[in-house]
Amino acid sequence: MRFRYEYGASPVHLLAAIASFLIAAWALSQALEVLSSPGRFLIWLGASIVAHDLILLPLYSAVGSAAVGTIARGRTRIRIAALNHLRVPALLSGLALLVWFPLVLGTGDSTFTSASGLSNEIYLERWLALSAMLFAGSALVFALRARGLRRWDTGADERR
Amino acid sequence: MRGPWLASFLSSALLPLIAICAFTGFVSHAAYDTGLGSNGLFDEGVDLYFFDWPTRPAWLYAATQGLHVVSGLAAIPILLAKLWAVIPQLFENPAVRSVAHGLERIGLALLVGGSLFVFATGVLNIQLWYPFGFSFVPAHYYGAFVFLAALAFHVLTKVPVMRQAFRERGVVRPLRDDLAHTEPEPELEGRHTTAPEDPAPPTMTRRLLLGTVGAGSLGLTVMGAGQVVGGPFRELALLAPRGEDFGDGPNDFQVNKTFKSVNIPREEVGGDWGLVLEVDGERREVLDRDQLLAMDQVTAELPIACVEGWTTTQTWTGVRLSELARVAGAGNPSEVEVRSVQPAGAFRRATLNRGQIRQSDSLLALKVNGEDLSLDHGFPARVIVPALPGVHCTKWVGKMVFKSDGNAPDSASVRNPA
Repeated sequence: MRFRYEYGASPVHLLAAIASFLIAAWALSQALEVLSSPGRFLIWLGASIVAHDLILLPLYSAVGSAAVGTIARGRTRIRIAALNHLRVPALLSGLALLVWFPLVLGTGDSTFTSASGLSNEIYLERWLALSAMLFAGSALVFALRARGLRRWDTGADERR
Repeated sequence: MRGPWLASFLSSALLPLIAICAFTGFVSHAAYDTGLGSNGLFDEGVDLYFFDWPTRPAWLYAATQGLHVVSGLAAIPILLAKLWAVIPQLFENPAVRSVAHGLERIGLALLVGGSLFVFATGVLNIQLWYPFGFSFVPAHYYGAFVFLAALAFHVLTKVPVMRQAFRERGVVRPLRDDLAHTEPEPELEGRHTTAPEDPAPPTMTRRLLLGTVGAGSLGLTVMGAGQVVGGPFRELALLAPRGEDFGDGPNDFQVNKTFKSVNIPREEVGGDWGLVLEVDGERREVLDRDQLLAMDQVTAELPIACVEGWTTTQTWTGVRLSELARVAGAGNPSEVEVRSVQPAGAFRRATLNRGQIRQSDSLLALKVNGEDLSLDHGFPARVIVPALPGVHCTKWVGKMVFKSDGNAPDSASVRNPA
């Protein structure tokens, strides 16, 4: 019991932590030894956390809350639905861009085209077409739902 | 919206995908038979592989590597959602509650950094963009060890939280709530979790949030699977790097490295080309293309699969590797190093194991789909072996160095060919 009080968890927890860190330390030391540019390896490892936790996530969260504050203002059913019919396709389109941006934006200079013999020009068009389809499909469903949602909102007003 | 149930639900979807991805990743590494010749691209510290890569089923490598890339892609939206769900813990207060909690947080830094690193390098690699300036294979390999070691510790510490969350909230019950019934998650008794203290009113149900994540995952699965299955399904690989068609001709299928990109002088693969057969460093035969075509020709329909997660199945015709071993007088060779005339590149040579040489569908292909190979596909001759990783199916072959059984080759002459 004394151990749990001093350490904050069971001895198994401590053993697992030590085992995990030893394997990670071994892998890191191997990588640093094998790679010709170990510094860049460490930078990418750390920068990936900064890029996601401190840049990408706050950025899309801020866009999200701005959208909630403007589009879903008043919290009527139809406004909340409009918000969701925008942000679901936006999230999916953003995901596709996040994963495939080297091809979509052509950042991979000429390595891809020269090695594969394929053109990377089609990807921007395909991503735009996919995004357009997602937004259009979502808008169509929203239009079909709009009447029912409006009736629900006015009904809610009358009930008030 | 955030809370221990949401994090647990995402984790239980993420964990099987990561398990598949990790397992197939290590299996893919084994497929390179890194203990043979110069197949090992870097010093591995420990040799985790103790078996020869098999040749059956022929689609084995297409399956393992396809699963690796597809499960990895499918995991991305779930990983992002999971990180979103637990982000408040990055800024939790007090920052460290105990030694154990401090160690968990160090583990989390390794976990988040390791996972983002492994996924990012993998995704960039399949699109052939290398902005990181270090060698992909060892970095992805050792990054995976860091990630998995941290993940094992994390799973061990969080399984009780997951069980408690599922016990208190039900595994799928929160998915049934409509917007009016979407309540913030309560804190689990006796735990510090991401359950919000002062949540904003919900604008989305949990099922819509998770449905969106699932749709993203499914979309990436379809794109990834399209380039593995190929044929008409390749069109589904909308944004995947190998979703494009070349055309209908016999040589119109995916190329890993074009002839132009590897800087082979044209005359090296012209009329003067000849295949040199060596045994234990001693030159035994030189065969030109007509002589090879005059030998027994074998036809086999075999897939060729790339480590980047795409596959194409074609009908190859050529001379059996075992027949070439016989002609060279190599007996029952334990291995053969196949060398390309390619002047540079890590994969201009590959060593095949005994089983791969003996397999009756292992060919030095001269033709594909009834026509001569094109330059992009390795003219005058290329290796095709069932279940062998694509980059080991050496193109523009110039020399094959057999190692006869129990008789080590003169290593100096192997390294410095005449």
